[in-house]
Amino acid sequence: MGDTSTILIEVFLETIGFWWVIVPTIFLGLIVGGIPGFSAANTIIILMPLTLAMELQTGLIFMVSLYCAARMGAGIPAILVNIPGTAGAAATPLDGYPMTKQGRGQQALAISFVASSLGGLLTTLIALAAMPLLARVGFYMHSVEMIVIMLFGISLIASIAAQDMVKGLIAGFFGLMLGAIGADVVYATPRGTMGFLELYDGVPLIPALVGLFAVSEAFIIIEKRVILTEEGQAAMENPTWSATFEGVRETFKRWAHIVWTSLIGLVIGVIPGAGASIASFVAYQQSRTFSKTPEKYGTGHIEGLIAPEAANNGVTSGTLVPLLVLGIPGGATAAIMLVVMQFHGVSFGPSLFQQEPKVGYGMFMAMAVAYFIMILTILPLSRYMSRVTTVPTIYLAPMIISFTLVGAFVPREYMFDIYLALAFGVIGYIARRTGYHVAAILIGVILGPLLETYFLRALKKSEGDISVLFSSTLGNILWVALIVSLVLPLVFDRNRKKKAMVIQ
Amino acid sequence: MSLDPKEPPRHLGGELVIPVMAVIFTLYYFTTIWNSPWTAQVSAFAIGGILLFVCALFFIKMVGYLQRGEGRLTFGNLFSYEDIRSGRIGLLITTVGFCVLIGDLGFTLTTFLFLWLSMAILGKFKRLGLITLTATLMSLGGWAVFIWAFETRFPRGWFENTMRMVLSNG
Repeated sequence: MGDTSTILIEVFLETIGFWWVIVPTIFLGLIVGGIPGFSAANTIIILMPLTLAMELQTGLIFMVSLYCAARMGAGIPAILVNIPGTAGAAATPLDGYPMTKQGRGQQALAISFVASSLGGLLTTLIALAAMPLLARVGFYMHSVEMIVIMLFGISLIASIAAQDMVKGLIAGFFGLMLGAIGADVVYATPRGTMGFLELYDGVPLIPALVGLFAVSEAFIIIEKRVILTEEGQAAMENPTWSATFEGVRETFKRWAHIVWTSLIGLVIGVIPGAGASIASFVAYQQSRTFSKTPEKYGTGHIEGLIAPEAANNGVTSGTLVPLLVLGIPGGATAAIMLVVMQFHGVSFGPSLFQQEPKVGYGMFMAMAVAYFIMILTILPLSRYMSRVTTVPTIYLAPMIISFTLVGAFVPREYMFDIYLALAFGVIGYIARRTGYHVAAILIGVILGPLLETYFLRALKKSEGDISVLFSSTLGNILWVALIVSLVLPLVFDRNRKKKAMVIQ
Repeated sequence: MSLDPKEPPRHLGGELVIPVMAVIFTLYYFTTIWNSPWTAQVSAFAIGGILLFVCALFFIKMVGYLQRGEGRLTFGNLFSYEDIRSGRIGLLITTVGFCVLIGDLGFTLTTFLFLWLSMAILGKFKRLGLITLTATLMSLGGWAVFIWAFETRFPRGWFENTMRMVLSNG
């Protein structure tokens, strides 16, 4: 214990000494995270030669800082212009964008920054302390348990559908059907591909995200001179530091909410194959379920913004746990880190912490320091970033369309993906104009294929016996938790209505 | 007759577009898996079945609205004179043009043309100087950051290739 503490202090001091790497990397990460298609993973791949040329410690600090900052950066356009930078930030605009339209963009950014940093910092420290225990979570999560976790995320469709149940369900299930496009996972039979070879791998996520959120939004915002409401414009005319501090204060008041939702992110992040998109939807759904004011969600509610932001940053530390302890990368960025570490001859598994403890602990410490420095460096920027909302839409809309459509091209380099993003843009525009929620469609596109994969895996293992879904203890506990989380809001809602009637 | 005379009737035609698309796509999807192994069918039939059921409920609901006079089979919420006045149709045409041309002209040139034309249409061809400056700065800035500095694999064309040769020859 004494040795570990000494190593941790040493590593902390060494990492702080790398501020000259961390600070510019944070700004790079914020930019690449904010543009759809330019994920941290892509940027690290592009800069791989540079990373390999660096010393191991410098390279790891660079990658970890970029990863954390990109995760946070994805929330900035989600809040300001309703365009999530990555699928992990797809739940952020649900409450972040309404806040911006009300002229509270500065507060929303401050809330997002503080919730992300605190969520990331807290889960990093927890992961550091509970690494051996957390590493076992991945072992217990089999296909059945994963199905229930996916259903937690998908049940958000029901929450979104609360405004108009039938329309919400149509949007969600239409998304699930679109998500089912592609070759089936067992016999590679092409399904619903309309003859396009480019769809055999399924619907690529970035074009779907770009189309549903960015392109459709650009076509909507041109109706007004600026994206703000009249009150929002008045509020944004004289931005003050007090708005930033108000956001910080409001976030700190909800510290328990940050702890709870970032822990959801941490646990989901530990599971290989799960990720920030699932974590943020699950956290949002759970936050709404147990809220005393669920009706405020979707209207610019602070807790609705804190939940996905804390959760998707909780995922960042979670993905490092299986990577370092088991050598199993929890996501694309972690997989690239694995390659770089292997290039430098670092071994994984429990031996890592015995042979090279500074590398193992150093990655978590780099994450903690990056989050700490991020609060100090980017919080002051919220005042200036929120000015984006005052840019006239005649300039903003074409910029959104051109830079996001080309972002759809980057991951696979298919021109087809640009056309696909445009097609999703048309679907998103029709959906927005006729009262269907684009987030419900996107949840389906993201979670549909994953759900099918785990469902088939479970059925294959049980030779088609559907009762396999209720065959594991952990799975059954999760089923009960799912049912409770769906039923409880109805009970709470009924009690609230009863109380309101008694008061009247 | 509409129940509330103050409330305008709903444009049910527009509201039906997404469900109709969903039904057509689901039926098409079913045709592609009809003779497939059960592993390719099970999930799609379950999800598609629920989707068709929910859409059927929605269609019944719509018929009710029509019978009560609360809505009409119009598309006013999707297409209106506002689309022409606001330049939305123009923006759609330039966006399609952007998608078609970017493969041949490359990122920088296409982005400049798209930004200039779209901003000019949306701004009703006023303040063309500012629009030209914005389009130039944004497209060149995009080229400098993404293609020159980070070598991101954007579509390349005449401008990118010329700049690459100019820069590589000092």
